[in-house]
Amino acid sequence: MEFKHKTLANGLVLIGEVNPPAKSAAVGYFVRTGARDETLDVNGVSHFLEHMLFKGTDRLQASQVNEAFDSRGAQFNAFTSEEQTVYYASVLPEYLQDITALWGELMRPALREDDFTVEKNVIKEEIAMYQDTPTFDVIDRCRSLHFGTHPCGHSVLGTVESIDGLTAAQMRAYFARRYAPNNLVVACAGSFDWDRFCGVVEAAAGAWPRQEVGRSLSDFQGTMQKARADKANLKREHICLMHTGVSAQDPRRYAAALLGMIVGDDYGSRFYWDLVDKALAEEASMHFGPMDGTGLFYCYLRCATRNAPRVLSIVDGILRDLVRAGIAEDELVKAKNKVLSALVLKNELPMGRLGDLGSNWMYLGEYRSIEQEVDAVKAVTTDEVNRLIHEIHLDRYTQYTLGPAVSA
Amino acid sequence: MVESGGWCESRLVDAGTVKIVFCGLGVEQRIDKCVLPNGLVVLGEPMPGVESVAFEFLLPGGAAWMPPGYGGAANVISEWVFRGAGKWNSRQLGDALDGLGVQRSSSIGSAHIYLGGALESSNLAPALALYADVILEPHLTDEQFEPARQLIVEELQSMDDEPRQKVMIELRKRFYPDPLGRSNMGELDELQSLTAPKVRELVGAYRDVQQTILAIAGKYDFEAVCRQIESVFGPHQPQPLSAIGLGAKGPAYTHIPNEGAQVHIGLMTPTARFAEEAYYNARTAVSVLSGGMSARLFTEVREKRGLCYAIGARYHSLREAAGIACYAGTSPDKAQETYDVILAEFHRLAEGISAEEMVRAQIGLKSSVILQSESSSSRASAIGSDHYMLGRVRALDEIKRKIEATSVESVLGFLRRNPFREFTVVTVGPREIRT
Repeated sequence: MEFKHKTLANGLVLIGEVNPPAKSAAVGYFVRTGARDETLDVNGVSHFLEHMLFKGTDRLQASQVNEAFDSRGAQFNAFTSEEQTVYYASVLPEYLQDITALWGELMRPALREDDFTVEKNVIKEEIAMYQDTPTFDVIDRCRSLHFGTHPCGHSVLGTVESIDGLTAAQMRAYFARRYAPNNLVVACAGSFDWDRFCGVVEAAAGAWPRQEVGRSLSDFQGTMQKARADKANLKREHICLMHTGVSAQDPRRYAAALLGMIVGDDYGSRFYWDLVDKALAEEASMHFGPMDGTGLFYCYLRCATRNAPRVLSIVDGILRDLVRAGIAEDELVKAKNKVLSALVLKNELPMGRLGDLGSNWMYLGEYRSIEQEVDAVKAVTTDEVNRLIHEIHLDRYTQYTLGPAVSA
Repeated sequence: MVESGGWCESRLVDAGTVKIVFCGLGVEQRIDKCVLPNGLVVLGEPMPGVESVAFEFLLPGGAAWMPPGYGGAANVISEWVFRGAGKWNSRQLGDALDGLGVQRSSSIGSAHIYLGGALESSNLAPALALYADVILEPHLTDEQFEPARQLIVEELQSMDDEPRQKVMIELRKRFYPDPLGRSNMGELDELQSLTAPKVRELVGAYRDVQQTILAIAGKYDFEAVCRQIESVFGPHQPQPLSAIGLGAKGPAYTHIPNEGAQVHIGLMTPTARFAEEAYYNARTAVSVLSGGMSARLFTEVREKRGLCYAIGARYHSLREAAGIACYAGTSPDKAQETYDVILAEFHRLAEGISAEEMVRAQIGLKSSVILQSESSSSRASAIGSDHYMLGRVRALDEIKRKIEATSVESVLGFLRRNPFREFTVVTVGPREIRT
């Protein structure tokens, strides 16, 4: 695999990892903007804007956009997080130039008033759908509780009220501030011709003017509060715990990923043996979530209401035990094997590779080969994980529970 | 070599294994197949350039094959067998699998229990040895039965909080003639009445090597895999399963009250089965309806009317029956209109399809076949499923050619001969709809 890199005069970065034997190519436009870059009066605008990019440009209607993707057999989508908006597609190599050009064109959307009005309903339906998905809802609520007034606590979807109140003019102003070429990375992985790829992106984006764009980066240790909300239609307890983590730029991120696996992987973790294996909780997981300049760990637990006190007490015991005694050497070996296996499998697909390629550049401004990632995981020591456990105070966390009404 | 656009299929017989080489359009694809003396079928597809390997055992005894009153037993079995096997207790077995970096996957289908894994290829032999222990020598202790059963009870009860999933489980249950659409999680009363001796007996009854399929894709040594599997799976002891008798379908409309934010609508209508000649016409029709964002359902329901965020239809086939399943989630005040628009789109399909829609549907289908072929896990599942459904594995090139052979006329002819008459509908949410 060969890494390629180019920066245009306006600051737009192009990166690629060329893998000629691949059967496909994956392309992504990574925009460094998300809910944390919003003010509360326009909360949800990053995500709504992501929807509006599919509505076309001055030249293209929404139906023509959809037809253009589908007529090339592209598997395409986009997502918005607290700090990224990513547009991506997986295609057969012969269609890569067309799809790259199409995304480039869509990055300068028309943002028409009538499209905005119809799409507002779709956004509100998406909010309603996630309200009916407690696994998602509880993590979203816990994030807000954990980050308090820090912008990383902003909801990606926004609320029905903030979406109702949003105007197309506000969205245009946000777009103008955030979709600057120097706030974007265009990445490609798989079987493709680098020079032709660069030509296509330059033709689409070379004339976009560079502008001042930034993000307030501040670390945050979490509010460590506890809250619970009732929902009449729920039958189970959905519990989210959030810990302080380390950032995507922090060298300790590999130790953090391994710690998440040791504590809360689907199989074989401490949570698994003490909670899932004993059928006290149906799901008990812990994940590391590195972010720009900050980071977190989040645990998700699902169990019967009658088991919730016991489950929480066991979780607390596991975390305190780790602070007291640390991890065992063989736990780290198993966690490494699982992380490395997942890394190999994911990176065999151009679409899997694209995510790491783009994210590494967004956060680190550098290319990391699969071999470098493998070596970094292998190099983590038990001491490093144990030090991290103390540094992040693994026994201190924010807690949010969503469950059925409990009689006193 | 074959000419561009040509087609060839050659069979090389070597030490009891067959290597079928497909080459067409300049792409060569090899399928390895070996029927062991005990009847177990091993299938493989080597994938150049990958370091991983994925495997999947298809074991007889899916949800539809469980005896009456044993709903959910297959799922309990798939959990119980990992709780100690061969020389390993539950903890040791989990540690051994983790030590090999196996990404585990277990699921229950209508016909099979699927036990699979994906990992770095150099660990394949020890991983297969552990899975052989799980399949052939599970401890099935009384002590481990209760948590295994309780975990499936928990899983089933959690579905009440996931209306999007629940609606499709309930839909499938009613659409297919019983027992084909049974939920893999079973029913609460049946799960609660299961006992360790009853389920242990089932495990013995369904352990039929002759009906077991092992599918592998990625980087592997096929001869070595066959030798290993033959040595551990041993001689065949036939355990003939009695054929399943098909009962009635469920009611045409069911509403399940749930005071959530949306009405979740599931509907399903019969279509051509996977093994039928008309399969590709059915798939193309579904692609016109819901293959991409320019397809009809997305355009009419979401783009033009803003009724839904999630809307889509998929083709689903068992060996015995098939259907087109559609899902939409929407606010209570829009539920009726959403349902009416969806139904109108199903009926409008046979009235005509434009040449452009047809081209997009075909390209979408062909592209997804090739994109999925890059994943070792997808290929392992696909070759196992092909073999069960058709008795052979389809070459990717055959699939492409058959998609290309469909036309506006062939799809419309199929739709007119098989009009959408019968719909099974389930809603979960705060409001019913009129069907």
